[in-house]
Amino acid sequence: MARPDTDRTLTAPGIHGERVSMRDRSREDVDFCIVGAGAGGGVLGAKLAEAGFSVAILEAGEHWDPTKDFVSDERAASKLFWTDERITGGEHPVELGSNNSGRGVGGSTVHYSMVALRAHPEDFRRRSLDGAVPGTGLTDWPLTFDDLEPYYDEVEEALQIAGPTWYPWGRRRQRYPQREHQLNACANIMVRGCMRLGIPVAPCPIATLSAPHVDRPPCVYRGLCNYGCTTNAKSSTLVTYIPRAIQAGAEVRPLSMAAQITHDAHGRVDGVLYFKQGQEGLHRQRAKHVVVAGYAVEMPRLLLNSVSPRFPNGLANSSGLVGKFFMVQPSHQVYAKFPDRINQYKAPPPGGAISEHFNRTMPDVGFICGYVIEVIGPHAVEFAERLIGGRGLWGAALRREMLDYNYFSGLAMVGECMPQRTNEVKLHATERDRHGLPVAHVLFGYHENDRRLMAHARGKIEDILKAAGGSDVWDAPRTAHLMGTCRMGVSPDDSIVNADCRSHDIPNLFICDGSVFPTSTGVNPSITIQAIAARTADRIRDMARRGEL
Amino acid sequence: MSAPQSGEENRFPTRYPHFNVLDKWATPDWDDQTREAIRQRLENVPPIRFLTPAEVTTLEAIVERILPQPDRSAGAKIPIVPWIDKKLFDDARDGYRQDVLPPQRQSWRSAIAGVDETAQVFFGAPFHELDAPSQDMILKRVAQGDPPGEIWRRLPSHVFFSKVLAIEVVKIYYAHPAAWNEIGYHGPSSPRGYSRIWDGGVDSWDAQVEGP
Repeated sequence: MARPDTDRTLTAPGIHGERVSMRDRSREDVDFCIVGAGAGGGVLGAKLAEAGFSVAILEAGEHWDPTKDFVSDERAASKLFWTDERITGGEHPVELGSNNSGRGVGGSTVHYSMVALRAHPEDFRRRSLDGAVPGTGLTDWPLTFDDLEPYYDEVEEALQIAGPTWYPWGRRRQRYPQREHQLNACANIMVRGCMRLGIPVAPCPIATLSAPHVDRPPCVYRGLCNYGCTTNAKSSTLVTYIPRAIQAGAEVRPLSMAAQITHDAHGRVDGVLYFKQGQEGLHRQRAKHVVVAGYAVEMPRLLLNSVSPRFPNGLANSSGLVGKFFMVQPSHQVYAKFPDRINQYKAPPPGGAISEHFNRTMPDVGFICGYVIEVIGPHAVEFAERLIGGRGLWGAALRREMLDYNYFSGLAMVGECMPQRTNEVKLHATERDRHGLPVAHVLFGYHENDRRLMAHARGKIEDILKAAGGSDVWDAPRTAHLMGTCRMGVSPDDSIVNADCRSHDIPNLFICDGSVFPTSTGVNPSITIQAIAARTADRIRDMARRGEL
Repeated sequence: MSAPQSGEENRFPTRYPHFNVLDKWATPDWDDQTREAIRQRLENVPPIRFLTPAEVTTLEAIVERILPQPDRSAGAKIPIVPWIDKKLFDDARDGYRQDVLPPQRQSWRSAIAGVDETAQVFFGAPFHELDAPSQDMILKRVAQGDPPGEIWRRLPSHVFFSKVLAIEVVKIYYAHPAAWNEIGYHGPSSPRGYSRIWDGGVDSWDAQVEGP
């Protein structure tokens, strides 16, 4: 509750270049301290503040002013990504940084591709439906689709997702809040190829406006969505939930890098120690509850760095599973050359079309689970990187091939990844960050099921591109999205949090981001992360009312 | 100052000979923050502060083979090595590093020395003194992961080449307006955006095709 004698007012960037006033919560023992202002932390922070809780959100990066800080340029956008060192390894080391890791208020939603797909009812029951898979921790979720469905509705309304009147996959649903986007050239190619092959294809629901909404304009198709939206059409949490959080009295504290979560003599967490950029020493935010929403690498790193005599293996880690079952989504890109001018740089990268036809366990293919096929639209630098990674081109051959940049069109898979205990985020044995804290060591390798799924997807995408008139097909290996490392489950023996994202070990500690996924699903995770956060906020509110918090 | 070279292997024929993305400087395609970012890129090429003159000489020769610019005079080439040096001087990271590679500065220093060592093994001369086919032969061995030399025993050359070296070079080259011109990449368009987004669609402010 408000204590006027300690109130101090701060300001934060609004979304139209103005400054908005914001409560200073730094000297309070807040109800909730949330670490991370991205997809999960933004939604949860707004809803908890609106429910009347006092909330402080710590964010390692900047609080962006979208009218000044976003530049229409790939290279200048490097500040949006998590560029602190992390060490990668395993059989297939994953690329982090600009590929999947955001920094700053809004987190990865500032630079994501905005594909807004619901998981399917089956995705929450993979173990029951598909059986055990050797070498994996394939499991059912403690949540069902029914639990999340109203929250998908809620988040899609808040983000004003633009999509078709009728979407053919997953459970039947109401029409999307805004009408679907126009197809760009790459999407036209996908539709043409799919229709010639009889593969169902549909407009892709995405989180950017197709019509004006309150004080935000529709998308102008400038196409640099992965480098920050300069017009506010993109429904990142920066311009949606974060303004709500501040309006409701939350403090969003940028440039504040969490170092350790502290606990009291009873083993309940009581605050967060953090470094404030440009200032010496550790600061402390006192809190009655702590929520970690730092995504699947920094989240386990923070828990594992929070060691104490009582918790020598890190917080919430009695199962020893913090950091385990790290997952990505295989996201190979396949390109072909076309006789017509394509201009891959125009319109949002998802292009406007999608197929979930193969997003299911199919008979007689030799693997379980599935993948979606999505449109991509790389800009000049990214496309050159794909030519290196996919075809090993360099020298005059690379520069010559790039002369045809405007004549390539590509599609990508986003597929389900088996949860394997050996894929993990742990603390590196020797590498330390500038504060002396161990950095994350991220180990990943594909399972045989993943490899078969990827080969199937590559073949189908090649068929589509050729049927559309493409030639010289090639592919570039890639992964997208991060999940796992703090899986939710029923039992404290084999999971870290329960269906309410609440730690089994420490009842006033919550984890609320993509790291709670016990299986990856075959769709882009952002809207599911946000639906889980929206549900968690309601569950916390209800538990508080019942005195169960 | 070397002169532009002619000959088929030194030509990179653009479809867009009259496209100059800088003509958009004062149009609705470029906002203030974009103008400032590109102005810095064009006018404030950083001085060398981290690499030694010998390392710069070798790296310049390597970069000229990874992204050759024989069609441009020395003064007209897109600068690449100064930006690599700035990254090393600032020790700005990418957010991840494979555990088989040493830290960034050490990796680059070792790789530059490794290329020269391999050049000595094959030709008894430093890399920058070799002709282009000899240099390409060495870099091909580096890219495939089996170049001779002691240094490469401690640094997996194919990982450094494909994940660090070549990537960093294109990140710099294809961020330059001159590179956008040759490939017809329109680049920034804020607040204007695009209207003709279908296949074959060309906005009047897009690069216009002339020639083959």
